[in-house]
Amino acid sequence: MANNTNHQARRVALKWMHSVGLFLAMMVLCVPGLWIVLNSFRPTVEIMAKPPVWIPNDLNLDHYRAMFGGIGEGSVPVLTYFTNSLIISVTSTVIAILIGMAGGYAFARYKFKFKGGIFVGLMVTRAVPGVALSLPLFILFARIGIIDTHIGMILAYVAMNVPFTVWLIDGFFRQVPPELAEAAEIDGCTRWQAFWRVEFPVARSGVASAGIFAFLTSWNEYALASQLTRSTTSKTMPVGLLDFTSEFTLNWGGMCALAVLMIIPALILTFLVQKHLIAGLTFGGVKG
Amino acid sequence: MKTLLSGASCAVLVAALASTAVLASPDAAQAGEFDGVTIEAKLIGGQQYEALYARIPEWEEATGASVEVISKKNHFELDKEFKSDIAAGTTDWCVGSNHSSFASQYPTLYTDLTGLIGQDVVDEFVQANIKAATFDGRLVMLPRAQFDVSALYYQKDLYDDPEKAKAFEAEYGYALAVPETWEQVKDQSVFFADPPNFYGTQYAGKDEAIVGRFYEMVVAEGGDLFNDDFSPAFNSDAGKRALQWFVDLYQADAVPAGTTNYLWDDLGNGFASGTIALNLDWPGWAGFFNDPSSSKVAGNVGVAPAPKGSAGVRTGWSGFHGFSVTEDCEHKEAAASLVDFLTNEDSQKLESSAGPLPSRTAVWDHVSEQAKGDAYRSEVLAAFKETAATAFAVPPTPYWIEATNLIYPELQAAILGDKTVDEALSDASEAVDDLMQEEGVY
Amino acid sequence: MKRLKLPQWLVLLMPAIIILSAVVLIPLLLSLYSSFTSYRLTRPDSLFNWVGLFNYEKAVTDVKFWAAFGRTVLLLAVALNLEMLFGLGLALMISKVTRGQRALRTMMMFPMMFSPILVGFQFKFIFNDNVGLVNNALQSLGITDTAIPWLVDGNLAMFSIIFAEVWTSTSVFGILILAGLYAIPRDPLEAAKVDGCTPFQSFRFVTLPFLMPFIYIAMAIRSLDVARAYDIVQIMTNGGPARRTELLWTLIGRTGYVDARMGYANAMGYVSIFLAIFFTIYFFKKLTAARKELGMGV
Repeated sequence: MANNTNHQARRVALKWMHSVGLFLAMMVLCVPGLWIVLNSFRPTVEIMAKPPVWIPNDLNLDHYRAMFGGIGEGSVPVLTYFTNSLIISVTSTVIAILIGMAGGYAFARYKFKFKGGIFVGLMVTRAVPGVALSLPLFILFARIGIIDTHIGMILAYVAMNVPFTVWLIDGFFRQVPPELAEAAEIDGCTRWQAFWRVEFPVARSGVASAGIFAFLTSWNEYALASQLTRSTTSKTMPVGLLDFTSEFTLNWGGMCALAVLMIIPALILTFLVQKHLIAGLTFGGVKG
Repeated sequence: MKTLLSGASCAVLVAALASTAVLASPDAAQAGEFDGVTIEAKLIGGQQYEALYARIPEWEEATGASVEVISKKNHFELDKEFKSDIAAGTTDWCVGSNHSSFASQYPTLYTDLTGLIGQDVVDEFVQANIKAATFDGRLVMLPRAQFDVSALYYQKDLYDDPEKAKAFEAEYGYALAVPETWEQVKDQSVFFADPPNFYGTQYAGKDEAIVGRFYEMVVAEGGDLFNDDFSPAFNSDAGKRALQWFVDLYQADAVPAGTTNYLWDDLGNGFASGTIALNLDWPGWAGFFNDPSSSKVAGNVGVAPAPKGSAGVRTGWSGFHGFSVTEDCEHKEAAASLVDFLTNEDSQKLESSAGPLPSRTAVWDHVSEQAKGDAYRSEVLAAFKETAATAFAVPPTPYWIEATNLIYPELQAAILGDKTVDEALSDASEAVDDLMQEEGVY
Repeated sequence: MKRLKLPQWLVLLMPAIIILSAVVLIPLLLSLYSSFTSYRLTRPDSLFNWVGLFNYEKAVTDVKFWAAFGRTVLLLAVALNLEMLFGLGLALMISKVTRGQRALRTMMMFPMMFSPILVGFQFKFIFNDNVGLVNNALQSLGITDTAIPWLVDGNLAMFSIIFAEVWTSTSVFGILILAGLYAIPRDPLEAAKVDGCTPFQSFRFVTLPFLMPFIYIAMAIRSLDVARAYDIVQIMTNGGPARRTELLWTLIGRTGYVDARMGYANAMGYVSIFLAIFFTIYFFKKLTAARKELGMGV
């Protein structure tokens, strides 16, 4: 009896610890981010106040209004940056996924020499730091004439994401029994049809999770973008953040406002596909 | 900073825009002179700089040329871009924003403007600026109305409190007044400081910024950063006194403990937060500091000329923005005409009406005239004019930025107490000496 | 007409190989070449000034370089392990929750939405000693009455950088480990319970081995991406003050772009690339071993 109550007390205590721990962890994860969201609605004088103003007494949309305002009022071509970011991220993600599917399929379904070596070779290309790559890449792109274009950025991001998509999708295709496709082929499908009708649907979650990682990487990338973009023709949102800095000044409130516009689409997307993300990662990466 | 312009100055700006659009006709350009020519330009972006670009359509209309802005970034990013351009050979664009501190790094990029701009035009600029824009006898840029030198901002009410004045005099033996020397700044900073709520002063603590501050202090102490052959000269008594000033303030907790990680934006926001008594800072902040929507010290801001060092010399590290024409530009005349237009009297009047300082003699007079009746603006202009009179530019060596990257970690080491002043200066001096020798400067 | 017939696997791999060669390999060869020259950005002709191993000699004999190297390895080791531990804890806590998991998972991934450059600015302001959020909070709560110089003090500055880095990247571990937890078959856990294992024992001997491959995957992903921390560090401290937080990437970035000494920067860059490759291969090996142990094949 005593043992039982003791046991129950421990369970209650554990449950409490669990809730408190979870709450604290979520606080640490969310507060710095929410602080940015809050700052985007506050006048600079309050953000930088000392003694600090804990309870905002003046929330307004000034930073957003200024951002969309006219020349000389602190406007930033947000919509253009947004469109650029969207075009570049979505296109490069789609291409990286297609290439990743081809490559992943090759690794999963075929046997060939130096397979392990080629695989690791593809992977390590991602390990090259952007800061070491940016100048030679710039010189190369300048020679071809694709500096400050969507094409150039898309190429760079596809290359950045391909190793990861190949890897994740490879793990996933191994998961699909080869017999499935073979059966479909016997039923009169071509290999191509068999792939799309049988193997791809099973691998969909894996593709989705590779996609979200690739999208977030492209959406948030700065080091290469700052080098390969120049004007509003191709500048992406992370590079646009620097529009709020000039030689002596930094407009933190304005930066936060742009940051919020950057975070929202990514957040919505993640929320929508996260079920696939978890499912995809569960089976994709490990079991092979 | 978008809030840099108060509502009032914004209104002035808009009015100025409207009036210049109607009245001014671009001088020196004949109608249709450059029909069909397209000028590609890389311009500095940011609130403070972009108002001027609204004038570009006027020039386009007058000359028949068109301007395409192919890059718009802040100066550090532009600097990176220019260097990449030189590396890749993509330098056939025409007009670029330039800065006196960066200009010496691109010896091959920009053309000599001397033949392209009339001598009479060049003569209308402040001659010290023209000198600082000339490297090896080549005029590489024409200054716009973005001249920067630092004056001393302070909180006025600190000097209105009789009790403070009495306590100060009792401790230091002289009357409390707005400081005229750096020694006084040190005394008062230590006196006013009440960490962590209030600090006497602050200084930029990293990158080129602290080296610039150190440089002007060395000059004010009677020394120099480099000898004429660009061998390091700062490991001297004057250099040691200069560095000691920074160290003393840090050790006395008279500056925020994070000051060695501060750059200009941190400093400006710090003073605006009302926690700094004395702040040596740039003219671009004048409006920001006195605007209630951005600054807690609005209405309580005084501005004095930069204090003097023990040699009786004012600090006055200065720089300015300008425009250059590339060597590879196909239409140099048209490009030079655009540069001329963007720095002409009307352009400078437009820019300086929002706060920045001009680089043309006539426009200095014009802004002083305009400021009459606005006590704060007049005080700002007077202080900066006084400081500008003895201002000096950075040493004209292509290795300036690289040298600062060798010097600043050593200065920080001394300030934080990792090294003594002597050690730090001798290490920095040795590193700079190695650099100059490796590059074959001497 | 007879066409050269490539094996199918090669055709499928071709797009990946082509794009990676064009965008990564060729530029890398270019920078490898330039690391043997005295290449200065501002003097293009210096690209043809062959100096042999001079840059490498200069790098390996430079104390500052090795200090930055050591600090980078330290940062990687500490940050990756902390991220792993926190990610594990987070995933375990979330997996135990019965309601609102979807919202919790999204919250957990919140930091992943932040561009590294933004994270840099964000934590620079949060850790500002004078008007920063952390010091303001500590002072308002009466925990301290001094302004703690988060970004200046030697240990605190590294701590702040690691904090920012861990904040952004724990989510990656969290989400991957969570995926692992969902994949664990129920039977062994039930069996362990029947055998009278304590919760800790069943975690240690059943759950953890199952999770290991996921942990190594996360490690491998992260070690591929760590160089992105450059953006964060560059904004927060740029290696300062007094080189207390100098990392390979900040040193390389400054040498290459600000000092314009690309040849020397590329020589140092190669050392850092080898470092990244080493970490990656190491975790791939671990991953393969862990998969084998679980009988998952390779």
